[in-house]
Amino acid sequence: MAPPELYALGQNPTAISSHAFNANRTEVAVSLNSNDATIWERQGHEWKQTETLAEHDKLITSIDWAPNSNRIVTCAQDRNAYVWQQSPDPQTGRMIWKPTLVLLRINRAATHVRWSPNEDKFAVASGARAIAICSFDPEGDWWVSRLLKKPIRSTVLSVDWHPNNVLLAAGSADMKARVFSAYIKDVDKRPGPCVWGDKFPFNTICAEYTSHAGGWVHSVGFSPSGDVLAFASHDSSVSIAYPGADSIVYTIKLTSLPLLTLAWTSENSLIAAGHDCQPLVFSGSHDGWELSGTLDDPNANKTGSGAARAGLGGASPVGRLNSAAFNTFRNADSRGISNVPGSSGPSAESELFTVHQNTITSVRAYEGAPGDVARVSTSGVDGKLVVWDVAQVSPISVTSNIVGRLAGVRI
Amino acid sequence: MDGSFRKIDIDQYDEDVLLESELYEPDSRDPAQVLSDAKQKAATVRQSLARGDTAGALAAVLDGAPYGPNVEEAKNLNLQTVVSILNSTKATEILNIVRVLSPDAQDTLMKYLYKGMALPGWGDVSGSVLLGWHEKLTEAAGTGCIVRAMTDRRLV
Repeated sequence: MAPPELYALGQNPTAISSHAFNANRTEVAVSLNSNDATIWERQGHEWKQTETLAEHDKLITSIDWAPNSNRIVTCAQDRNAYVWQQSPDPQTGRMIWKPTLVLLRINRAATHVRWSPNEDKFAVASGARAIAICSFDPEGDWWVSRLLKKPIRSTVLSVDWHPNNVLLAAGSADMKARVFSAYIKDVDKRPGPCVWGDKFPFNTICAEYTSHAGGWVHSVGFSPSGDVLAFASHDSSVSIAYPGADSIVYTIKLTSLPLLTLAWTSENSLIAAGHDCQPLVFSGSHDGWELSGTLDDPNANKTGSGAARAGLGGASPVGRLNSAAFNTFRNADSRGISNVPGSSGPSAESELFTVHQNTITSVRAYEGAPGDVARVSTSGVDGKLVVWDVAQVSPISVTSNIVGRLAGVRI
Repeated sequence: MDGSFRKIDIDQYDEDVLLESELYEPDSRDPAQVLSDAKQKAATVRQSLARGDTAGALAAVLDGAPYGPNVEEAKNLNLQTVVSILNSTKATEILNIVRVLSPDAQDTLMKYLYKGMALPGWGDVSGSVLLGWHEKLTEAAGTGCIVRAMTDRRLV
């Protein structure tokens, strides 16, 4: 059993806003909670920073790396997106990343960006209650955008492309997950009918789902076939929607904190993670879905502090709350014992039982074809980048009471 | 300084304004129906409690709890009914009772606990009773239940 590969980028861990690997996973583009994106190259087990993509003047919110055309797109709170392409430096002949500004025409921060499967378009979600669908205009030699606006009522938090390169799923803060058509006449061939509909003029709303108990929809994802939509929302639930005449939505309510990000690994399983700091595995089919486990084995000895974990784990029914930080406050409150911060080492002081030490904000497929993903990568607020083997699922009962339950089916 | 401008309803000039009613599915029943349902449930609960069936009483009152606008009377009545159950339950039985509730009922109960805590001294709401239930409910349904009680706009 190979343990999850854990990488810390840089000396001082800084929150990773977003991460994206290149096609052969030898390089990764990340933004360390700053205006710059950095490119890191794998050297053995280490990652070494090779380049900085500096053009944005506000925090970068999302990065995506197109595997085949080898282009990077970044978007930021400065309401801009840049497409970065490698070209030789005229003086040295070395390959450098050149930015191209994209005219997004949005008046609020851009929040999320994803290349379409054919890499000829990308979608930028934004706080301007709109999604910019960008395509390349060879005549003007620039990227132009068309906006998906109706009927979005609030900030769009995430987007995901259907494999047919036309349909786009979006999750937003108006508590809805929607499926839009992002058909661009000059780019796309007319798509054939599928479970989401037959005709797809631009901005057709093919489906709209409401989160179970009114939470922001943080993340959306089409299944590998594109026939099923999953979304995670801030009411600590994940929903899997089957469209069509016999439309079914399965909602799994979690007993733990909300999920922020999800990725499908096969047609019958997906991995989601968030404020609970561990990647959870959900599996099911048209007949029902359930939480099947976690990738974060609570009994594994991690980063040499297994003893501390064992000493703390399992006692409290409230799981994650049973951290050293929680105990410090409880001791101070109920027993009047004050624990001077740093006296017994600040890192051991507030260590969680999980590999990630803070919220996971991004989970992405790392290895394997869509529909047969063998490994996934996660990054989060703790500045760690972790690669997990999706086959190593630990039963959930071991990790306190983080149990998902199948709620009622809404038809 | 004249502060009356602060009272202007600026939302009426915003054509994109998001209305409260767009945030959740409204209750399909009409307010009079909701009130009579709540009254009926209060009676059912009294019978169940007389039989000593606390779990049944709680499940009954939490099912189809009134929410949304224009049903204040029914909401108050239902809260009173819930509080009467909470107050009459022995602390040692709480965990077993909340464990057998459906996940939806657990979420609704959490909403009532928070509503009760927001109304100190209302009726015979007692903070220590609510906190006792809150602890056991969190033990059974986790922090996710609290998150749902906070995000859900269908306020009880």
